[in-house]
Amino acid sequence: MKMEDKQLEQLFRGENEAGKLDHVIRAVDVRKVYTMGDSETHALAGVSLDVRRGEYLSIMGPSGSGKSTFFNMVGGLDKPTEGKVYIDQVDIAQLDPYELAWLRCRKVGYIFQTFNLIQVMSCIENVTLPMAFAGMDSEEARDKGIEILERVGLGDRALHKPAEMSGGQQQRVAIARALANSPDILLADEPTGNLDLKTGQEIITLFSKLREELGVTIITATHDLKMLKSSDRIVWIEDGLITRVSKPEDMQIELADIEGE
Amino acid sequence: MKIAEHLEFSTFNFQSSMETIGTQVRLPFKRALAIAVSGIRIRLGRSLVTVSGVVLGIAFLMSNLTGQIVKTALSEEREQSQRVDMMMSLVNAEVGSLEDRTVAVAAFGRVTATDLAFVGRVNSSGPALFRAHGLDRSGLTAVSLQELGKDADLVFVMGDAASASISLQELTAGMASPLVLDTQADREYTGEVGDGIRREPFFGKQAEDMKEEAEVAARTERFRVTWILVISLLVTVVTVANALLMSVTERFREIGTMKCLGALSKFIRRLFLIESALIGMAGSVCGALVGAALTMVIYGAMYGFGKVLLSIHYGQLLLAAVVAVVCGSILSMAAAVYPARVASRMVPADALRSTV
Repeated sequence: MKMEDKQLEQLFRGENEAGKLDHVIRAVDVRKVYTMGDSETHALAGVSLDVRRGEYLSIMGPSGSGKSTFFNMVGGLDKPTEGKVYIDQVDIAQLDPYELAWLRCRKVGYIFQTFNLIQVMSCIENVTLPMAFAGMDSEEARDKGIEILERVGLGDRALHKPAEMSGGQQQRVAIARALANSPDILLADEPTGNLDLKTGQEIITLFSKLREELGVTIITATHDLKMLKSSDRIVWIEDGLITRVSKPEDMQIELADIEGE
Repeated sequence: MKIAEHLEFSTFNFQSSMETIGTQVRLPFKRALAIAVSGIRIRLGRSLVTVSGVVLGIAFLMSNLTGQIVKTALSEEREQSQRVDMMMSLVNAEVGSLEDRTVAVAAFGRVTATDLAFVGRVNSSGPALFRAHGLDRSGLTAVSLQELGKDADLVFVMGDAASASISLQELTAGMASPLVLDTQADREYTGEVGDGIRREPFFGKQAEDMKEEAEVAARTERFRVTWILVISLLVTVVTVANALLMSVTERFREIGTMKCLGALSKFIRRLFLIESALIGMAGSVCGALVGAALTMVIYGAMYGFGKVLLSIHYGQLLLAAVVAVVCGSILSMAAAVYPARVASRMVPADALRSTV
């Protein structure tokens, strides 16, 4: 890693322009080893990263780079073999199952490539499920659910089942569900991976809008170069290590090249 | 490395913000029930297959229980009629045919069903006169104890009272050759036994050795049936467990998603236990009905429907049904313990990675 560049270093630490720190996520030398029989796979070989509150961060990397593994650590879905992950300055390795569930329920909203809506339930039921897990009573949850669905542009589809909707609509429902308990962090794993270009663009626009309106921190793992433009920082992961941290401005030339093709 | 120094610097305040993490609430049972029910509804095909496994097992259990009840009832009836036959043959040996005779019966205390059946048989064997004391509901001419013996050829005494409220002399007053047939050999009468009064014990008794033999056979049969029942119920448990495991695999992603949304492992476990309990209950109720109905039809075809329906103790049948339903529900929940554990222990990240 070349860290001579002062500005890049500041960027890497997640400092804002004034050099002030407000980290919502901190990963410190995170390692993850998967043991399969005799062979060990180092999915993450020591990744450190701080994420500022309200930041829009994209994680880039080829498949098998450890991107998804890092993602799971940051979201409290998996525990690191070594190193620490802090969410709101709490070491998630120290949380008991109840606290972990609480964290997944209220601090983090998850968005998946395959939407992962519960097929049995209607839109509104999907959206209110995390609220039910948070102990909200069902009428209040319903009102809030409708409000969020309206926010993502699906106010009139509340009673539809996921199977009756297009991919883009399903992803919007998934986003609404992720927002159910007003989380600090939205984690999106390849959110546009299963969508066509136009729909993908709509989802990206929606992310930017949510970030502006709600001040939520957004972290996406993606292959999609379009997503990079709207992010504040781009982190490149390869072979379980961060190889590069850049700003979208630095990418503009590259992007223009790609789009020009 | 510069970065590492910096990171250490800013970790110091993490203790103070520990209270930002709360503890997840437990969902009310109603909510879990609603989710479980909708889960069953959407996977109705699979659920029905699971239910049918329970239905088969419990129907088999219930048909055995019902069979036992019907058999007992029928054999009780047969035993009773055998006893009455025996009593009648004793009577016939004493006095010959009862046709056109004058007969009387006195009851002290409660009378048995066999005694009543015997009275009915005597009544239908054509006596000229048959009167009774203490058998108000028999439909016989009721007379006082003192008048009972008048011109009678024979007096029966029955009932469970240890002593009669009359002397034998008074009871047999007016009889040409006093003969008393008493179902209790040691019943006490007031006063002394007068001369010329014959008092004979008579009661239908099954030969003891026959009874013993039947009991040994019944015990062997019961052991065999229990063995088959246990095996068949175990098969049911394995079937349900297998179906639920399949269902867990099928729902890997759904379970993982729920965990990401903040579901506790306990909640996931509960979901599967409720689902299995519902399947168990539905299956057992159907199984109990099918088993009981089928068995009654089979016995009815063999021994006559009227006889079967009349002789059954319905209280016992209801009890058997309750036993079968409780048994089915408990076994079904037992079958869910392992699949529910598999589901609840799933790491959410693993669940999401799977492409099942």
